[in-house]
Amino acid sequence: MKKRLYSILLVSSLLAFNACRREPEPIYEINPVSVRVFGAEKIREKSPIEFISIAYSDIFGTTIPQNTLNKINIPYLGFGDKKAIEDLIIRNFLNSNNSIIPSNSEMRSNPELFVKNTIEKLFNRTPNEFEIWFLTDYINKTPSLTSSEFYYSVMTSEEYRFY
Amino acid sequence: MINRRKFLKNTGWIAAGTVAAPYILPSGRLFAATGSRTVDHVVFVLFAGGVRQLESIDKAEGNLMPFSFTGNESISPDILGAMSPLPTPTGTRLMQRGTLFKNFRYSQGPTGHFNGHTTAITGRYTTTDIQLRQPPAFPTIFEYYRKHTSPSQSSLNCWWVTDSLGPYPQLNFSKYPGYGAAYGANYIQPLSLINIDSYQFLGNPKTFQGTAKDRTIELNEFFNKQFKSKSSGSQNVITNTLEEQEVLQDFIYEMYQLALSGGFTNPWGTGTLNNDQLNLFTAGKVIQKFKPELLVVNLQGIDVAHTNFSQYCNNIRRADFALSKLWETIQSTPGMANNTVMLVAPEHGRNLEHNTIIDANGRYALDHTNDEMSRRIFCMLIGPQNAIKQNNVIDDIMGESIDIVPTISHLLGFRQSIPNGMLPGKVLEAALA
Repeated sequence: MKKRLYSILLVSSLLAFNACRREPEPIYEINPVSVRVFGAEKIREKSPIEFISIAYSDIFGTTIPQNTLNKINIPYLGFGDKKAIEDLIIRNFLNSNNSIIPSNSEMRSNPELFVKNTIEKLFNRTPNEFEIWFLTDYINKTPSLTSSEFYYSVMTSEEYRFY
Repeated sequence: MINRRKFLKNTGWIAAGTVAAPYILPSGRLFAATGSRTVDHVVFVLFAGGVRQLESIDKAEGNLMPFSFTGNESISPDILGAMSPLPTPTGTRLMQRGTLFKNFRYSQGPTGHFNGHTTAITGRYTTTDIQLRQPPAFPTIFEYYRKHTSPSQSSLNCWWVTDSLGPYPQLNFSKYPGYGAAYGANYIQPLSLINIDSYQFLGNPKTFQGTAKDRTIELNEFFNKQFKSKSSGSQNVITNTLEEQEVLQDFIYEMYQLALSGGFTNPWGTGTLNNDQLNLFTAGKVIQKFKPELLVVNLQGIDVAHTNFSQYCNNIRRADFALSKLWETIQSTPGMANNTVMLVAPEHGRNLEHNTIIDANGRYALDHTNDEMSRRIFCMLIGPQNAIKQNNVIDDIMGESIDIVPTISHLLGFRQSIPNGMLPGKVLEAALA
Protein backbone atom coordinates (compact mmCIF):
# COMPACT_ATOMS: atom_id res chain seq x y z
CA MET A 1 0.00 0.00 0.00
CA LYS A 2 2.83 2.35 0.98
CA LYS A 3 4.73 1.49 -2.21
CA ARG A 4 1.67 2.24 -4.31
CA LEU A 5 1.28 5.64 -2.65
CA TYR A 6 4.92 6.54 -3.45
CA SER A 7 4.36 5.57 -7.07
CA ILE A 8 1.32 7.84 -7.38
CA LEU A 9 3.21 10.75 -5.80
CA LEU A 10 6.17 10.21 -8.14
CA VAL A 11 4.01 10.15 -11.27
CA SER A 12 2.06 13.22 -10.10
CA SER A 13 5.28 15.14 -9.45
CA LEU A 14 6.67 14.23 -12.85
CA LEU A 15 3.46 15.32 -14.53
CA ALA A 16 3.36 18.58 -12.60
CA PHE A 17 6.95 19.56 -13.43
CA ASN A 18 6.54 18.53 -17.00
CA ALA A 19 3.33 20.59 -17.39
CA CYS A 20 5.03 23.72 -16.09
CA ARG A 21 7.99 23.45 -18.44
CA ARG A 22 8.00 26.09 -21.16
CA GLU A 23 7.83 24.74 -24.68
CA PRO A 24 10.42 26.00 -27.12
CA GLU A 25 9.06 28.44 -29.74
CA PRO A 26 8.80 26.79 -33.11
CA ILE A 27 10.82 28.24 -35.94
CA TYR A 28 9.16 28.10 -39.32
CA GLU A 29 12.06 29.38 -41.39
CA ILE A 30 10.51 32.77 -42.12
CA ASN A 31 11.37 36.22 -40.82
CA PRO A 32 9.33 37.48 -37.84
CA VAL A 33 6.66 39.99 -38.93
CA SER A 34 5.10 42.63 -36.73
CA VAL A 35 1.31 42.44 -36.70
CA ARG A 36 0.69 45.76 -34.93
CA VAL A 37 -1.79 48.20 -36.44
CA PHE A 38 0.44 50.65 -38.23
CA GLY A 39 -0.14 54.25 -37.40
CA ALA A 40 -2.04 53.34 -34.23
CA GLU A 41 0.37 55.31 -32.11
CA LYS A 42 -0.46 58.52 -33.97
CA ILE A 43 -2.94 60.32 -31.78
CA ARG A 44 -2.09 63.96 -32.40
CA GLU A 45 -3.98 65.64 -35.19
CA LYS A 46 -2.05 68.18 -37.22
CA SER A 47 -3.09 71.77 -36.69
CA PRO A 48 -4.10 73.69 -39.84
CA ILE A 49 -0.67 75.31 -40.01
CA GLU A 50 1.10 71.99 -39.49
CA PHE A 51 -1.04 70.29 -42.11
CA ILE A 52 -0.37 72.96 -44.73
CA SER A 53 3.35 73.22 -43.93
CA ILE A 54 3.95 69.47 -44.02
CA ALA A 55 1.92 68.98 -47.22
CA TYR A 56 3.89 71.77 -48.88
CA SER A 57 7.21 70.22 -47.87
CA ASP A 58 6.12 66.77 -49.02
CA ILE A 59 5.17 67.97 -52.48
CA PHE A 60 7.68 70.74 -53.12
CA GLY A 61 10.62 69.41 -51.10
CA THR A 62 11.22 72.72 -49.38
CA THR A 63 9.97 74.65 -46.37
CA ILE A 64 6.87 76.71 -47.01
CA PRO A 65 7.55 80.47 -47.10
CA GLN A 66 5.80 82.32 -44.28
CA ASN A 67 3.93 84.52 -46.73
CA THR A 68 2.57 81.48 -48.58
CA LEU A 69 1.57 79.82 -45.32
CA ASN A 70 -0.44 82.89 -44.32
CA LYS A 71 -2.14 83.06 -47.70
CA ILE A 72 -3.29 79.44 -47.46
CA ASN A 73 -4.14 79.45 -43.76
CA ILE A 74 -6.68 82.27 -44.04
CA PRO A 75 -9.04 80.55 -46.52
CA TYR A 76 -8.49 77.33 -44.57
CA LEU A 77 -9.96 79.03 -41.51
CA GLY A 78 -12.69 80.66 -43.58
CA PHE A 79 -14.44 77.46 -44.54
CA GLY A 80 -16.14 74.95 -42.27
CA ASP A 81 -15.49 71.62 -43.95
CA LYS A 82 -11.76 71.20 -43.44
CA LYS A 83 -11.56 68.00 -45.46
CA ALA A 84 -12.98 69.76 -48.48
CA ILE A 85 -10.41 72.54 -48.13
CA GLU A 86 -7.51 70.17 -47.46
CA ASP A 87 -8.50 68.24 -50.56
CA LEU A 88 -8.40 71.45 -52.62
CA ILE A 89 -5.04 72.47 -51.20
CA ILE A 90 -3.44 69.12 -52.00
CA ARG A 91 -4.88 68.97 -55.50
CA ASN A 92 -3.60 72.49 -56.16
CA PHE A 93 -0.15 71.56 -54.88
CA LEU A 94 -0.12 68.46 -57.08
CA ASN A 95 -1.12 70.54 -60.09
CA SER A 96 1.85 72.86 -59.68
CA ASN A 97 4.79 72.74 -62.08
CA ASN A 98 7.09 72.95 -59.08
CA SER A 99 5.89 69.66 -57.63
CA ILE A 100 8.76 67.18 -57.13
CA ILE A 101 6.81 63.96 -56.63
CA PRO A 102 8.19 60.92 -58.52
CA SER A 103 7.12 60.60 -62.13
CA ASN A 104 4.97 57.78 -63.45
CA SER A 105 7.99 56.11 -65.03
CA GLU A 106 9.90 56.27 -61.75
CA MET A 107 6.94 54.64 -60.00
CA ARG A 108 6.72 51.89 -62.64
CA SER A 109 10.45 51.19 -62.74
CA ASN A 110 10.44 49.95 -59.15
CA PRO A 111 6.96 49.91 -57.60
CA GLU A 112 8.07 48.37 -54.33
CA LEU A 113 10.71 51.04 -53.77
CA PHE A 114 8.17 53.71 -54.70
CA VAL A 115 5.70 52.33 -52.12
CA LYS A 116 8.34 52.16 -49.40
CA ASN A 117 9.67 55.64 -50.10
CA THR A 118 6.23 57.21 -50.35
CA ILE A 119 4.91 55.69 -47.13
CA GLU A 120 8.09 56.59 -45.27
CA LYS A 121 8.00 60.14 -46.58
CA LEU A 122 4.29 60.89 -46.16
CA PHE A 123 3.37 58.77 -43.13
CA ASN A 124 6.79 59.06 -41.52
CA ARG A 125 6.93 55.32 -40.80
CA THR A 126 7.97 52.08 -42.40
CA PRO A 127 5.24 50.31 -44.38
CA ASN A 128 4.32 46.85 -43.18
CA GLU A 129 4.65 43.77 -45.33
CA PHE A 130 0.98 43.67 -46.21
CA GLU A 131 0.99 47.29 -47.33
CA ILE A 132 4.07 46.73 -49.48
CA TRP A 133 2.56 43.64 -51.06
CA PHE A 134 -0.90 45.14 -51.62
CA LEU A 135 0.26 48.49 -53.00
CA THR A 136 3.02 47.04 -55.18
CA ASP A 137 0.55 44.55 -56.56
CA TYR A 138 -2.00 47.35 -57.10
CA ILE A 139 0.50 49.41 -59.08
CA ASN A 140 1.51 46.43 -61.18
CA LYS A 141 -2.08 45.43 -61.89
CA THR A 142 -3.23 48.98 -62.64
CA PRO A 143 -1.23 50.35 -65.54
CA SER A 144 -3.30 53.54 -65.73
CA LEU A 145 -2.55 54.53 -62.11
CA THR A 146 -0.45 57.69 -61.90
CA SER A 147 1.97 58.75 -59.18
CA SER A 148 -0.22 61.85 -58.61
CA GLU A 149 -3.21 59.63 -57.88
CA PHE A 150 -1.13 57.62 -55.44
CA TYR A 151 0.16 60.73 -53.66
CA TYR A 152 -3.31 62.26 -53.56
CA SER A 153 -4.76 59.08 -52.02
CA VAL A 154 -2.13 59.02 -49.30
CA MET A 155 -2.33 62.72 -48.52
CA THR A 156 -6.11 62.74 -48.20
CA SER A 157 -6.13 59.69 -45.91
CA GLU A 158 -6.97 59.86 -42.22
CA GLU A 159 -3.44 58.89 -41.18
CA TYR A 160 -1.93 61.83 -43.03
CA ARG A 161 -3.91 64.20 -40.78
CA PHE A 162 -2.09 62.81 -37.75
CA TYR A 163 1.47 62.52 -36.52
CA MET B 1 -34.01 24.71 -21.99
CA ILE B 2 -36.20 27.74 -22.63
CA ASN B 3 -39.83 27.64 -21.56
CA ARG B 4 -42.72 28.52 -23.82
CA ARG B 5 -43.57 31.82 -22.04
CA LYS B 6 -39.96 33.03 -22.26
CA PHE B 7 -39.72 32.00 -25.90
CA LEU B 8 -42.84 33.95 -26.81
CA LYS B 9 -41.65 36.99 -24.84
CA ASN B 10 -38.25 37.03 -26.56
CA THR B 11 -39.80 36.53 -29.96
CA GLY B 12 -42.13 39.44 -29.31
CA TRP B 13 -39.26 41.78 -28.40
CA ILE B 14 -37.26 40.75 -31.48
CA ALA B 15 -40.27 41.30 -33.74
CA ALA B 16 -40.94 44.72 -32.20
CA GLY B 17 -37.29 45.70 -32.60
CA THR B 18 -37.25 44.62 -36.22
CA VAL B 19 -40.26 46.80 -36.93
CA ALA B 20 -39.02 49.83 -34.96
CA ALA B 21 -35.33 49.84 -35.87
CA PRO B 22 -35.70 51.41 -39.31
CA TYR B 23 -37.39 54.42 -37.72
CA ILE B 24 -34.73 55.16 -35.12
CA LEU B 25 -32.88 58.20 -36.35
CA PRO B 26 -29.19 58.97 -35.86
CA SER B 27 -30.20 61.49 -33.20
CA GLY B 28 -31.57 58.66 -31.08
CA ARG B 29 -35.15 59.84 -31.52
CA LEU B 30 -37.70 57.33 -32.68
CA PHE B 31 -39.43 59.54 -35.21
CA ALA B 32 -38.79 62.75 -37.06
CA ALA B 33 -40.11 66.03 -35.68
CA THR B 34 -43.87 66.04 -35.64
CA GLY B 35 -44.46 69.78 -35.34
CA SER B 36 -45.94 71.39 -38.41
CA ARG B 37 -43.83 73.89 -40.25
CA THR B 38 -44.93 77.41 -40.93
CA VAL B 39 -42.37 77.84 -43.69
CA ASP B 40 -39.61 75.65 -45.12
CA HIS B 41 -36.82 78.23 -44.92
CA VAL B 42 -35.58 80.73 -42.36
CA VAL B 43 -32.88 83.33 -42.94
CA PHE B 44 -31.65 85.12 -39.82
CA VAL B 45 -29.64 88.31 -40.37
CA LEU B 46 -27.71 89.48 -37.34
CA PHE B 47 -27.76 93.16 -38.33
CA ALA B 48 -24.80 93.33 -36.06
CA GLY B 49 -22.00 95.57 -35.03
CA GLY B 50 -24.10 97.40 -32.46
CA VAL B 51 -26.97 99.48 -33.86
CA ARG B 52 -28.45 102.16 -31.63
CA GLN B 53 -32.19 102.73 -31.59
CA LEU B 54 -31.62 106.45 -32.08
CA GLU B 55 -30.08 105.92 -35.52
CA SER B 56 -32.34 103.04 -36.60
CA ILE B 57 -35.90 102.99 -35.26
CA ASP B 58 -35.93 106.54 -33.88
CA LYS B 59 -34.43 108.10 -37.06
CA ALA B 60 -32.55 110.77 -35.12
CA GLU B 61 -30.27 111.31 -38.13
CA GLY B 62 -33.04 110.77 -40.69
CA ASN B 63 -34.17 107.46 -42.12
CA LEU B 64 -30.89 105.59 -42.44
CA MET B 65 -32.73 102.34 -43.22
CA PRO B 66 -35.16 103.38 -45.94
CA PHE B 67 -35.24 99.93 -47.56
CA SER B 68 -36.39 98.41 -44.29
CA PHE B 69 -38.41 101.16 -42.62
CA THR B 70 -41.08 103.46 -44.01
CA GLY B 71 -40.56 107.21 -43.90
CA ASN B 72 -38.66 109.74 -45.96
CA GLU B 73 -36.95 111.68 -43.19
CA SER B 74 -33.91 113.53 -44.53
CA ILE B 75 -30.42 112.65 -43.40
CA SER B 76 -28.79 115.23 -41.12
CA PRO B 77 -27.04 117.80 -43.35
CA ASP B 78 -23.75 117.75 -41.45
CA ILE B 79 -23.11 114.05 -42.17
CA LEU B 80 -24.68 113.99 -45.62
CA GLY B 81 -21.32 114.40 -47.33
CA ALA B 82 -20.07 111.14 -45.80
CA MET B 83 -22.94 109.10 -47.27
CA SER B 84 -22.30 106.73 -50.20
CA PRO B 85 -24.60 107.09 -53.19
CA LEU B 86 -27.41 104.54 -52.97
CA PRO B 87 -30.63 104.20 -54.94
CA THR B 88 -33.85 105.60 -53.52
CA PRO B 89 -36.23 102.82 -52.51
CA THR B 90 -39.54 102.59 -54.22
CA GLY B 91 -42.59 100.51 -53.41
CA THR B 92 -43.09 98.36 -50.37
CA ARG B 93 -40.50 98.54 -47.59
CA LEU B 94 -39.35 95.39 -45.81
CA MET B 95 -41.18 96.16 -42.56
CA GLN B 96 -44.46 96.23 -44.46
CA ARG B 97 -43.93 92.60 -45.44
CA GLY B 98 -44.12 91.50 -41.84
CA THR B 99 -43.87 92.53 -38.21
CA LEU B 100 -41.52 95.03 -36.60
CA PHE B 101 -40.83 94.90 -32.86
CA LYS B 102 -39.66 98.45 -32.23
CA ASN B 103 -38.78 97.88 -28.60
CA PHE B 104 -37.00 94.55 -28.51
CA ARG B 105 -34.43 93.98 -25.77
CA TYR B 106 -31.04 92.44 -25.20
CA SER B 107 -31.91 92.16 -21.55
CA GLN B 108 -28.99 90.50 -19.79
CA GLY B 109 -25.27 89.97 -20.03
CA PRO B 110 -22.50 92.24 -21.25
CA THR B 111 -23.29 94.25 -24.39
CA GLY B 112 -20.29 92.76 -26.21
CA HIS B 113 -20.49 91.64 -29.82
CA PHE B 114 -19.63 88.04 -29.06
CA ASN B 115 -21.97 87.90 -26.08
CA GLY B 116 -24.77 89.33 -28.20
CA HIS B 117 -24.09 86.91 -31.04
CA THR B 118 -23.94 83.95 -28.68
CA THR B 119 -27.27 84.89 -27.12
CA ALA B 120 -28.99 85.34 -30.47
CA ILE B 121 -27.65 82.03 -31.80
CA THR B 122 -28.05 79.87 -28.68
CA GLY B 123 -31.14 81.42 -27.11
CA ARG B 124 -29.27 81.77 -23.79
CA TYR B 125 -27.86 84.86 -22.14
CA THR B 126 -24.17 84.75 -21.40
CA THR B 127 -22.01 85.85 -18.51
CA THR B 128 -18.79 87.81 -18.36
CA ASP B 129 -16.62 84.71 -18.35
CA ILE B 130 -17.57 83.72 -21.87
CA GLN B 131 -14.70 82.04 -23.69
CA LEU B 132 -13.88 83.56 -27.05
CA ARG B 133 -11.86 80.61 -28.31
CA GLN B 134 -14.19 77.88 -27.20
CA PRO B 135 -17.50 76.59 -28.52
CA PRO B 136 -20.56 77.93 -26.69
CA ALA B 137 -21.78 76.14 -23.59
CA PHE B 138 -25.29 75.58 -24.99
CA PRO B 139 -26.41 74.25 -28.38
CA THR B 140 -26.71 76.66 -31.28
CA ILE B 141 -29.71 77.07 -33.54
CA PHE B 142 -27.79 75.05 -36.15
CA GLU B 143 -27.45 72.11 -33.79
CA TYR B 144 -31.09 72.29 -32.70
CA TYR B 145 -32.17 72.39 -36.32
CA ARG B 146 -29.99 69.52 -37.48
CA LYS B 147 -30.62 67.32 -34.48
CA HIS B 148 -34.32 67.86 -34.05
CA THR B 149 -35.75 68.43 -37.48
CA SER B 150 -34.34 66.03 -40.05
CA PRO B 151 -31.03 64.54 -39.04
CA SER B 152 -30.88 62.44 -42.17
CA GLN B 153 -30.99 65.55 -44.35
CA SER B 154 -27.90 66.96 -45.94
CA SER B 155 -25.81 69.37 -43.89
CA LEU B 156 -25.88 71.57 -46.98
CA ASN B 157 -29.29 72.67 -45.71
CA CYS B 158 -27.75 74.65 -42.90
CA TRP B 159 -25.31 77.58 -43.26
CA TRP B 160 -23.45 80.06 -41.07
CA VAL B 161 -22.01 83.00 -43.05
CA THR B 162 -19.83 85.37 -41.05
CA ASP B 163 -18.41 88.80 -41.66
CA SER B 164 -15.10 88.09 -39.96
CA LEU B 165 -13.05 85.28 -38.43
CA GLY B 166 -11.92 85.72 -34.83
CA PRO B 167 -14.32 83.96 -32.47
CA TYR B 168 -17.29 83.81 -34.84
CA PRO B 169 -16.57 80.42 -36.44
CA GLN B 170 -16.86 79.04 -32.89
CA LEU B 171 -20.55 79.89 -32.86
CA ASN B 172 -21.26 77.03 -35.24
CA PHE B 173 -21.65 74.30 -32.65
CA SER B 174 -21.40 73.84 -28.91
CA LYS B 175 -19.71 71.49 -26.49
CA TYR B 176 -23.08 70.51 -25.01
CA PRO B 177 -23.40 66.73 -24.48
CA GLY B 178 -25.36 65.08 -27.24
CA TYR B 179 -24.91 67.95 -29.67
CA GLY B 180 -21.64 69.26 -31.17
CA ALA B 181 -19.90 69.22 -34.53
CA ALA B 182 -22.02 66.41 -35.93
CA TYR B 183 -24.93 68.86 -35.95
CA GLY B 184 -23.03 71.97 -37.02
CA ALA B 185 -23.68 74.11 -40.07
CA ASN B 186 -21.60 74.53 -43.15
CA TYR B 187 -19.56 77.62 -42.57
CA ILE B 188 -18.09 80.29 -44.81
CA GLN B 189 -16.31 83.57 -44.21
CA PRO B 190 -16.40 85.10 -47.70
CA LEU B 191 -13.68 87.71 -47.27
CA SER B 192 -11.13 85.05 -46.27
CA LEU B 193 -12.07 82.59 -48.95
CA ILE B 194 -12.88 84.62 -52.02
CA ASN B 195 -9.83 86.70 -52.82
CA ILE B 196 -6.95 86.56 -55.27
CA ASP B 197 -4.51 85.13 -52.72
CA SER B 198 -6.66 82.16 -51.85
CA TYR B 199 -7.50 81.66 -55.52
CA GLN B 200 -3.78 81.26 -56.16
CA PHE B 201 -3.67 78.23 -53.86
CA LEU B 202 -7.19 76.81 -54.16
CA GLY B 203 -8.41 77.82 -57.60
CA ASN B 204 -6.49 75.49 -59.89
CA PRO B 205 -6.75 71.95 -58.53
CA LYS B 206 -5.71 68.77 -60.34
CA THR B 207 -8.87 66.87 -61.24
CA PHE B 208 -9.41 63.15 -61.04
CA GLN B 209 -12.33 62.04 -63.17
CA GLY B 210 -13.99 58.70 -63.94
CA THR B 211 -11.74 55.68 -63.39
CA ALA B 212 -8.92 57.88 -62.05
CA LYS B 213 -11.27 59.08 -59.33
CA ASP B 214 -12.34 55.50 -58.62
CA ARG B 215 -8.71 54.50 -58.17
CA THR B 216 -8.04 57.32 -55.70
CA ILE B 217 -11.12 56.34 -53.69
CA GLU B 218 -10.06 52.70 -53.67
CA LEU B 219 -6.53 53.51 -52.50
CA ASN B 220 -7.79 56.05 -49.99
CA GLU B 221 -10.12 53.46 -48.48
CA PHE B 222 -7.21 51.05 -48.22
CA PHE B 223 -5.14 53.58 -46.27
CA ASN B 224 -8.04 54.46 -44.01
CA LYS B 225 -8.64 50.80 -43.17
CA GLN B 226 -5.01 50.49 -42.09
CA PHE B 227 -5.31 53.42 -39.70
CA LYS B 228 -7.28 53.41 -36.48
CA SER B 229 -6.59 56.55 -34.49
CA LYS B 230 -7.70 56.91 -30.90
CA SER B 231 -7.96 60.66 -31.29
CA SER B 232 -11.32 62.33 -31.56
CA GLY B 233 -9.79 65.49 -32.94
CA SER B 234 -11.12 65.02 -36.44
CA GLN B 235 -14.64 64.89 -35.03
CA ASN B 236 -14.45 68.52 -33.94
CA VAL B 237 -15.13 70.02 -37.33
CA ILE B 238 -18.13 69.97 -39.56
CA THR B 239 -17.89 67.16 -42.10
CA ASN B 240 -19.92 66.34 -45.16
CA THR B 241 -20.18 63.25 -47.32
CA LEU B 242 -17.77 62.88 -50.22
CA GLU B 243 -20.54 63.88 -52.63
CA GLU B 244 -21.41 66.95 -50.55
CA GLN B 245 -17.75 67.94 -50.40
CA GLU B 246 -17.64 67.90 -54.18
CA VAL B 247 -20.69 70.16 -54.31
CA LEU B 248 -18.99 72.52 -51.85
CA GLN B 249 -15.82 72.56 -53.92
CA ASP B 250 -17.90 73.31 -57.01
CA PHE B 251 -19.42 76.23 -55.11
CA ILE B 252 -15.99 77.59 -54.19
CA TYR B 253 -14.90 77.23 -57.81
CA GLU B 254 -18.02 79.05 -58.99
CA MET B 255 -17.31 81.87 -56.55
CA TYR B 256 -13.77 82.18 -57.91
CA GLN B 257 -15.05 82.25 -61.47
CA LEU B 258 -17.56 84.93 -60.52
CA ALA B 259 -14.84 86.96 -58.82
CA LEU B 260 -12.50 86.61 -61.80
CA SER B 261 -15.21 87.82 -64.16
CA GLY B 262 -15.77 90.89 -61.99
CA GLY B 263 -19.00 89.63 -60.48
CA PHE B 264 -18.05 90.78 -57.00
CA THR B 265 -16.80 94.20 -58.04
CA ASN B 266 -20.00 96.13 -58.47
CA PRO B 267 -22.89 93.67 -58.64
CA TRP B 268 -25.56 96.15 -57.55
CA GLY B 269 -24.34 99.19 -59.44
CA THR B 270 -23.54 101.05 -56.23
CA GLY B 271 -19.76 100.73 -56.24
CA THR B 272 -17.40 98.38 -54.45
CA LEU B 273 -19.00 96.15 -51.84
CA ASN B 274 -18.00 96.73 -48.23
CA ASN B 275 -17.60 93.72 -45.93
CA ASP B 276 -21.24 93.67 -44.88
CA GLN B 277 -22.41 93.87 -48.46
CA LEU B 278 -19.96 91.18 -49.53
CA ASN B 279 -21.31 88.96 -46.78
CA LEU B 280 -24.93 89.47 -47.77
CA PHE B 281 -24.09 89.10 -51.46
CA THR B 282 -22.34 85.78 -50.75
CA ALA B 283 -25.24 84.68 -48.54
CA GLY B 284 -27.39 85.28 -51.62
CA LYS B 285 -25.13 82.97 -53.63
CA VAL B 286 -25.44 80.30 -50.93
CA ILE B 287 -29.20 80.69 -51.17
CA GLN B 288 -29.19 80.33 -54.95
CA LYS B 289 -26.91 77.29 -54.87
CA PHE B 290 -28.19 75.35 -51.87
CA LYS B 291 -31.65 76.71 -51.01
CA PRO B 292 -30.82 76.16 -47.33
CA GLU B 293 -33.59 75.61 -44.82
CA LEU B 294 -31.63 77.58 -42.24
CA LEU B 295 -29.10 80.30 -42.98
CA VAL B 296 -27.65 82.73 -40.45
CA VAL B 297 -25.53 85.65 -41.61
CA ASN B 298 -23.95 88.41 -39.55
CA LEU B 299 -22.66 91.92 -40.24
CA GLN B 300 -19.99 93.93 -38.41
CA GLY B 301 -19.22 97.04 -40.44
CA ILE B 302 -21.48 99.16 -38.27
CA ASP B 303 -19.00 98.80 -35.43
CA VAL B 304 -16.95 101.61 -36.98
CA ALA B 305 -19.10 103.69 -34.61
CA HIS B 306 -16.36 103.35 -31.99
CA THR B 307 -14.26 105.84 -33.95
CA ASN B 308 -16.35 107.41 -36.72
CA PHE B 309 -19.99 108.32 -36.21
CA SER B 310 -20.60 109.46 -39.79
CA GLN B 311 -19.28 106.22 -41.27
CA TYR B 312 -21.38 104.32 -38.75
CA CYS B 313 -24.46 106.00 -40.17
CA ASN B 314 -23.28 105.33 -43.69
CA ASN B 315 -22.65 101.64 -42.99
CA ILE B 316 -26.14 101.28 -41.54
CA ARG B 317 -27.45 102.59 -44.88
CA ARG B 318 -25.25 100.26 -46.91
CA ALA B 319 -26.23 97.25 -44.83
CA ASP B 320 -29.89 98.21 -45.14
CA PHE B 321 -29.59 98.36 -48.93
CA ALA B 322 -27.78 94.98 -49.02
CA LEU B 323 -30.51 93.51 -46.82
CA SER B 324 -33.12 94.48 -49.44
CA LYS B 325 -30.98 92.79 -52.13
CA LEU B 326 -30.85 89.62 -50.03
CA TRP B 327 -34.63 89.67 -49.78
CA GLU B 328 -34.84 90.12 -53.55
CA THR B 329 -32.59 87.08 -54.00
CA ILE B 330 -34.79 85.01 -51.69
CA GLN B 331 -37.90 86.04 -53.59
CA SER B 332 -36.32 85.22 -56.94
CA THR B 333 -35.13 81.78 -55.88
CA PRO B 334 -37.60 79.01 -56.70
CA GLY B 335 -38.48 77.02 -53.60
CA MET B 336 -37.60 79.85 -51.25
CA ALA B 337 -39.83 82.55 -52.71
CA ASN B 338 -42.98 82.94 -50.58
CA ASN B 339 -41.70 80.11 -48.40
CA THR B 340 -39.08 81.94 -46.32
CA VAL B 341 -39.17 84.01 -43.16
CA MET B 342 -36.32 86.48 -42.72
CA LEU B 343 -35.52 87.68 -39.18
CA VAL B 344 -33.42 90.78 -38.72
CA ALA B 345 -32.05 91.96 -35.36
CA PRO B 346 -28.92 93.63 -33.99
CA GLU B 347 -26.96 91.75 -31.34
CA HIS B 348 -27.11 94.83 -29.07
CA GLY B 349 -27.37 98.60 -29.24
CA ARG B 350 -24.96 101.41 -28.31
CA ASN B 351 -24.59 103.82 -25.41
CA LEU B 352 -26.66 106.95 -25.06
CA GLU B 353 -23.53 108.91 -24.09
CA HIS B 354 -20.78 109.30 -26.68
CA ASN B 355 -17.06 108.75 -26.16
CA THR B 356 -14.38 111.38 -26.80
CA ILE B 357 -13.46 110.57 -30.41
CA ILE B 358 -14.66 113.11 -32.98
CA ASP B 359 -14.95 112.45 -36.72
CA ALA B 360 -14.38 114.85 -39.64
CA ASN B 361 -17.92 116.14 -39.29
CA GLY B 362 -17.50 116.99 -35.64
CA ARG B 363 -19.58 114.02 -34.46
CA TYR B 364 -18.67 112.01 -31.39
CA ALA B 365 -18.22 108.25 -31.61
CA LEU B 366 -20.21 105.64 -29.67
CA ASP B 367 -19.28 102.61 -27.58
CA HIS B 368 -21.50 99.97 -25.98
CA THR B 369 -20.96 99.39 -22.29
CA ASN B 370 -24.15 97.98 -20.80
CA ASP B 371 -26.24 101.15 -20.36
CA GLU B 372 -29.99 101.04 -20.96
CA MET B 373 -29.73 102.36 -24.52
CA SER B 374 -27.25 99.64 -25.47
CA ARG B 375 -29.91 97.05 -24.52
CA ARG B 376 -32.55 98.54 -26.81
CA ILE B 377 -32.73 96.85 -30.20
CA PHE B 378 -35.35 96.07 -32.85
CA CYS B 379 -36.46 92.79 -34.40
CA MET B 380 -38.13 92.43 -37.77
CA LEU B 381 -39.75 89.28 -39.12
CA ILE B 382 -40.86 89.31 -42.73
CA GLY B 383 -42.34 86.55 -44.81
CA PRO B 384 -45.45 85.23 -46.50
CA GLN B 385 -48.76 86.44 -45.10
CA ASN B 386 -49.82 82.94 -44.11
CA ALA B 387 -46.83 82.84 -41.77
CA ILE B 388 -46.18 86.39 -40.56
CA LYS B 389 -48.56 89.25 -39.77
CA GLN B 390 -48.13 91.87 -42.48
CA ASN B 391 -47.58 95.58 -41.96
CA ASN B 392 -47.60 95.00 -38.23
CA VAL B 393 -45.72 97.39 -35.95
CA ILE B 394 -45.41 96.66 -32.22
CA ASP B 395 -44.49 99.76 -30.25
CA ASP B 396 -44.65 98.18 -26.79
CA ILE B 397 -41.61 96.72 -25.09
CA MET B 398 -41.97 93.16 -26.26
CA GLY B 399 -39.59 90.32 -27.08
CA GLU B 400 -35.93 89.79 -26.35
CA SER B 401 -32.85 88.21 -27.90
CA ILE B 402 -33.42 84.79 -26.35
CA ASP B 403 -36.79 84.57 -28.15
CA ILE B 404 -35.18 84.31 -31.58
CA VAL B 405 -34.09 80.68 -31.35
CA PRO B 406 -37.48 79.44 -30.09
CA THR B 407 -39.17 81.41 -32.85
CA ILE B 408 -36.99 79.92 -35.59
CA SER B 409 -37.54 76.42 -34.20
CA HIS B 410 -41.28 77.08 -34.18
CA LEU B 411 -41.29 78.32 -37.77
CA LEU B 412 -39.36 75.25 -38.93
CA GLY B 413 -41.58 72.91 -36.91
CA PHE B 414 -39.18 71.43 -34.37
CA ARG B 415 -39.85 73.54 -31.27
CA GLN B 416 -41.66 70.68 -29.53
CA SER B 417 -38.75 68.31 -30.11
CA ILE B 418 -36.26 70.38 -28.12
CA PRO B 419 -36.00 69.02 -24.56
CA ASN B 420 -37.77 71.05 -21.89
CA GLY B 421 -35.63 73.59 -20.09
CA MET B 422 -33.13 74.05 -22.88
CA LEU B 423 -34.59 77.32 -24.15
CA PRO B 424 -35.79 79.90 -21.62
CA GLY B 425 -37.15 82.22 -24.33
CA LYS B 426 -40.58 82.15 -25.91
CA VAL B 427 -41.93 82.12 -29.44
CA LEU B 428 -42.70 85.61 -30.78
CA GLU B 429 -46.39 84.84 -31.17
CA ALA B 430 -47.29 88.48 -31.79
CA ALA B 431 -45.60 88.25 -35.20
CA LEU B 432 -47.24 85.03 -36.31
CA ALA B 433 -50.22 85.04 -38.66
